[in-house]
Amino acid sequence: MINTPPINHDSTVMRYQGFSLLLSHSALFSTIVISLILLISVIASLALGSTFIPLNAALPAIFGQGSHSTLLLVQEIRLPRIFAGLITGAALGSAGCLIQTMARNRLASPDLLGINNGATLAIILGLIIGNILGSWWLALIGAATCALLIFMLAGRWGRQGYRVLVIGLAIAVMLRSVIELLMSTVSLQHASTLYTWSLGSLVGRGYSASLPAAFGLTLLLPAALLLSRRLALLRFEEDLAASLGLNVSKTQFFIMLLTIGLAGLGVTIGGPIGFIALAAPIIASRFANPAHIPIFRSALIGAIVIICADTLGRITNSHAEVPVGVITSILGGPFLLWVLLSKQ
Amino acid sequence: MFVSSPTLAQLLRWMLLLTALLLGLAFLSLLIGSGHLGMKDSLAYLAGDTQARTNEQLSMVIQSLRAPRTLAAIIVGACLGSAGVLLQTATRNPLAESGLLGVNAGAALGVVIGISFANAQDGYAYLLWAFGGALLGNGLVLLVASRASALKLVLAGVAISATFQGLSSYLLLSNISSFDQYRFWVLGSLSGVSLSMTLQLLPISVFALLLALIMARPLSALLLGDDSARALGHNPTLTRSIIALTVTLMSGIAVALAGPLVFLGIVAPYAARHIVGPRIASQILLAALIGALVLLSADILARLVIRPFDSPVGVILAFIGAPFLILLVRSSKVSTI
Repeated sequence: MINTPPINHDSTVMRYQGFSLLLSHSALFSTIVISLILLISVIASLALGSTFIPLNAALPAIFGQGSHSTLLLVQEIRLPRIFAGLITGAALGSAGCLIQTMARNRLASPDLLGINNGATLAIILGLIIGNILGSWWLALIGAATCALLIFMLAGRWGRQGYRVLVIGLAIAVMLRSVIELLMSTVSLQHASTLYTWSLGSLVGRGYSASLPAAFGLTLLLPAALLLSRRLALLRFEEDLAASLGLNVSKTQFFIMLLTIGLAGLGVTIGGPIGFIALAAPIIASRFANPAHIPIFRSALIGAIVIICADTLGRITNSHAEVPVGVITSILGGPFLLWVLLSKQ
Repeated sequence: MFVSSPTLAQLLRWMLLLTALLLGLAFLSLLIGSGHLGMKDSLAYLAGDTQARTNEQLSMVIQSLRAPRTLAAIIVGACLGSAGVLLQTATRNPLAESGLLGVNAGAALGVVIGISFANAQDGYAYLLWAFGGALLGNGLVLLVASRASALKLVLAGVAISATFQGLSSYLLLSNISSFDQYRFWVLGSLSGVSLSMTLQLLPISVFALLLALIMARPLSALLLGDDSARALGHNPTLTRSIIALTVTLMSGIAVALAGPLVFLGIVAPYAARHIVGPRIASQILLAALIGALVLLSADILARLVIRPFDSPVGVILAFIGAPFLILLVRSSKVSTI
């Protein structure tokens, strides 16, 4: 039985005992380019803000050198925030890539389907009842419940992609209303912080908030990458995928679990930051060979978009910081419109 | 799914029934509040009891809080309900609604801009800015509608609303005092409505409703196709433009009073269509009444669900409207009207 993958000259196979990894050169190249862009946006985000820190002061401050105020700003405020943005963006971007491929619909994303709002609602409920903000397990329960609800109401993904999306939209609006209802019972002082968080914001989210999500990401993202070859088969009709030897429903189940996990983690830190999960995979697919599922690149691009949007939110408005979720929703609207109206 | 067209008598009977219901609800709306005032006191006040009339708190609550709120709910409900009929018929899409498509969000952005940069304060100024914003939103919707299916149009509406809402939040967040003041209004709420603004917009809403009724006949001709409409002596482009302006005006009035409400424009026309069948003028009348009824009941509920707090009525509407939208989409009747 021949078991060798078709190796072209533009790819390299890495083998270690029973495991092998096929690396395409073009994918490797675009991943490196995207990583460089991410690095640049991280550095820019470190320097820019309500106070500008020149690079020759900001970079040494990472390693603990510089004046007291610079150290405080870089190490206590900007770095944790950038870290939170990286984790959130990577989680949302990869979640979007998984679900878009599985649903065979470029618009299926956790935010449009209401999964993000489900996680947000669970977190806010946790806050109001138990006084804990950002507990990751609540987000996972919320996201899973919401996904289950959509599946029950919409039936299979199938071809009626828009139907699923409109049902998801209705659920998203309803969950959002429950969130608003809960928040109108909270005192104003409390509500202001909660409100900006519920719009999607990274303000004041320190390492303690991002570490559980970071840990989850290191488990889920490799799992998703391992599944990516099977996921690639899911882009065909289900019958064809089955005849190619894929256990379709089992794969779909695992992909859905991973999506819920990643989306839930993405929400725990910064709230429901919209349009990242929609845009990152679509942008990533522009860089990718159609035969590949660019999960990792979606994660990187998600991180880039969040870091840039958060930096924009800090510098565009001199009166107050604008939550990153507001920025992504302003930019995401035209993007969604463009995707909807462009032929494909 | 053609329903046989009912006679005028049937229409009148329905209208009488709904008007009676509306009056009953309006009465109830004057009695019920989220605060601690008892219904008995309010009833005594309305009955003209001298002791109750001299109670300053009671008269303040009823005259300057509940009365304008009730009137505004009726105006806004009627506007959004009949605007829904116009928009759905013109786009031949039973899901088309000024809230879901982003027209209301555009109007809200207009008002926020007016508040932030032009110190807009009274009803006319609000309406002017809301109208401008709604015009922008409506233009975008019409641009998309020609290229998209029913469900796709709704998703385009999500995109349009997201941007408008984002811009509104952006502007409001830069000014914390206006942020607190308009946090409820941005979600759709009748709680801060003033009597003067409501009275200013009342005649304009009557005008808009009359305009809608006048346009009913050219609009139904348009349903036969542009050529047939032309043969019947109508000018399709003119009809479309006037319809679009009427929808914009109605959405502007509604948003100026109550903020961007979603779903009302789907529920009311759907119910009206099922009661009176395909006649557009009857649909407009009934949808206006049903819209007012639904919004007023939702507003009464909004005062009760989290007492002693007042909740935004948009939240209650979402609870009614979202399941309705799901049922509508699942019933797979989403083709054309």
